[in-house]
Amino acid sequence: MFDLFDDNPGRLFLLATLLPLVAVVFMLSAAVVRHLLRPQVSSTKWSTLLYWFLGGDHPLKTGGYLTVATFVAAAAVSILGLVRFYEDLEAFRGSPAPFEARWAERFQWIHVGPSKNEPPATALHLGYRIDRLSALMVTMVTVVSSLIALFSLGYMKDESKDLVEDHAAHVQRRGRFGRFFLYLGLFVFSMLNLLIADNLFQVFVGWELVGVCSFFLIGFYYERRSASTAANKAFIVNRIGDAGFLVAIAILWATFGTLNIQELIEKFHEGRPAALTDSLWLIMGLGLFLGCVGKSAQFPLHTWLPDAMEGPTPVSALIHAATMVAAGVYLVGRCYPLFSPDVLLVIAYTGAITLFLAATIATVMTDIKRVLAYSTVSQLGYMMLALGVGGWTAGLFHLLTHACFKALLFLGSGSVIHGLHHEQDMRKMGGLRKKMPITAFTMLVGVLAISGTPFFSGWYSKDMILADTLGYGVVHKQHALLYLIPFFTAGLTAFYMFRLWFLTFTGKPRDHHSYDHAHESPWTMTVPLVVLAIFSLGVGWGWPAWNVEESILAHQLHEAEPSTLHHFHSEQHAAHVAHDYAGWLGLFLAASGAGIAAMIYVVGNPSKVLASKNGPLGTLFARKWYFDELYSLVIFRPMMLVGACSAAVDKRPTIGEEPVQSPIDVGTLDGMLNAIGQLMSKLGTALRASQTGSIRSYVLVLILTVVGALGMLAVLTR
Amino acid sequence: MNELGLTPFLVLSAFLFACGILCFLTKRNAIGLLMGVELVLNAANINFVAFARFVPGFQLEGQVFAVIVIVLAAAEAAVALAIFLNFYNNHASVDVDDAKDLKG
Repeated sequence: MFDLFDDNPGRLFLLATLLPLVAVVFMLSAAVVRHLLRPQVSSTKWSTLLYWFLGGDHPLKTGGYLTVATFVAAAAVSILGLVRFYEDLEAFRGSPAPFEARWAERFQWIHVGPSKNEPPATALHLGYRIDRLSALMVTMVTVVSSLIALFSLGYMKDESKDLVEDHAAHVQRRGRFGRFFLYLGLFVFSMLNLLIADNLFQVFVGWELVGVCSFFLIGFYYERRSASTAANKAFIVNRIGDAGFLVAIAILWATFGTLNIQELIEKFHEGRPAALTDSLWLIMGLGLFLGCVGKSAQFPLHTWLPDAMEGPTPVSALIHAATMVAAGVYLVGRCYPLFSPDVLLVIAYTGAITLFLAATIATVMTDIKRVLAYSTVSQLGYMMLALGVGGWTAGLFHLLTHACFKALLFLGSGSVIHGLHHEQDMRKMGGLRKKMPITAFTMLVGVLAISGTPFFSGWYSKDMILADTLGYGVVHKQHALLYLIPFFTAGLTAFYMFRLWFLTFTGKPRDHHSYDHAHESPWTMTVPLVVLAIFSLGVGWGWPAWNVEESILAHQLHEAEPSTLHHFHSEQHAAHVAHDYAGWLGLFLAASGAGIAAMIYVVGNPSKVLASKNGPLGTLFARKWYFDELYSLVIFRPMMLVGACSAAVDKRPTIGEEPVQSPIDVGTLDGMLNAIGQLMSKLGTALRASQTGSIRSYVLVLILTVVGALGMLAVLTR
Repeated sequence: MNELGLTPFLVLSAFLFACGILCFLTKRNAIGLLMGVELVLNAANINFVAFARFVPGFQLEGQVFAVIVIVLAAAEAAVALAIFLNFYNNHASVDVDDAKDLKG
């Protein structure tokens, strides 16, 4: 079996990708078999046995455990693959061709026509390509998602019951334990497919699969109106981005005849290829970025992500940390040479706007998951900003560290919500440190990491981003906002994260009913928390650990930097010079943010602060800068108006139970259709008379026609 | 010998053809119809033989086709007469306008 991997160790990552699919296929087929067996139960011994083995009338528990097992196996395989990858990097140093052959394979999937690699292209390929970035990303995704899946076993325990009471929707329904893990498996498979794909079309397939899985999972409690709406919102907003992605794919396809990312990057090696005009280059870059904006919830398409909190908390962790939102940043990173300088500037500004907007909103949210959701949006903004200003390493480094600590924070909040029996409002928490010490401690690690405390993983990555923005600002004086915003927001980040932690875990309990029933979570939930806390602490370490520029992970990513980054040479030099200032300034701002949070919510009286009304600025933040209202006004309302007009034409308002048809409908629309039908009928009746059945009259017509035709021919040819 | 040429034969043929069609259109008697059809077929025969005589490279084909048409006419006459005989047995008439039992 291992021969299969000796010549092509890249297949290890392929195996890791396909493993979650095993659980999915198992659960789907188990569900089908169970359904088919149901009528036959107790007719034969074997069918009964098989039926009860597949869970009988209960939710499919086996599927959940199998999913966790496949995730863990995938994580193990990808760690093995990562080790082999680094061994190979040493062994094949200086000989890229055989190395490439070992870690990338592809085969033709669809072929329509004779030419190859001539624009427009005629073949779609399926393949994988493992490089430093995708190897690290796959490992991160599999490890984090196996921890999340393990956590879900505890968190979703209620769903394994036959009948579940949904208090929010006031319904009783069957438990959906198996279904949850089915979606989870498909989700992770899609994400991994997207990561290892070697061409943009395959990325697009994974991209859409991730989108539809998020739709399923956000709408998991679909009896709740809010959940089904949020699922629709996520899906529809993502479609907007996907449209841009498709445009970019179409342009690349038509211009270069290939969608293979590596081949495209080589074409862009020397700047703009001659085949692509400037405007097309711009449109292609913007389209590609629009896809990433949708998926990574950047301004102006950021509105779906906070609403995605309607899903179960492990799903939020998965969407926010390992999959989905990471996809956008990853794609920008992987297709980096394809973006023109103008587009990179757009990326930088989009990131800057996003990170600021989201951070301000996070400071006033009271729902524990929403604070985290906006913090995710804000951190994604940091990554995009870093990518835009040439900090390729910094952005992707932050993606990896953020995945660890954001998964930790979300699972921690899930543990709190679980312990409080589905209470998410921070106003009703407080003092929980004593009731759930492990959760409190591990979440503190996460909070410290995201705030950029020294020696925590977030410090290394965020410091690098700040230095890169400062370096860019030093070189390009007119873009000063690009470093002012992230520095200011670094303070805000520390403020809202410490606010969350203080409100939840310290002080006096504000709701005694919740507090009295609170309990620490079972081991399946605390173990992932502890493991993720260790990752959040140590994933950025290097030697010496106090030197922020010596992170091993960052060095590995630095090796993978695309060659077009040499355009940013002067910026990077400035960033290197500015690193110390940036570090101390960021640290100072974060400390003051944390200090202010402590002043207000520990020394001060948090109950009073929470009860007081928001000022104008606070209202603006609490209403999320009125983005939902704006979209409603500009897009939703006009559409509803058009719909209402059409409905008025089609039907009058319902009277009683039966919809009544309007006179316009009967007279115009139905009338038109009926007229066509009646015309045909009358025409038939009229023509029927000519079918006499008398051959003589037919022959007469025939003869006359022939004579007439010949006569015409004679006249015309004369 | 004074050569007549192709044209008189074609004129004769066209005349016969017209007579046949006219007969076919005006007669209601089934036997009359049959005679009209015979005239049309024989007009065609005259054409075939005339072309066989005057057009080079058409000698054999023209005559063969004429023979085939004669055979065809005989077969057709036999079948048609059989039909009319049966029709006469049922309706005591050979008027084709009486043949409308199947008309919807």
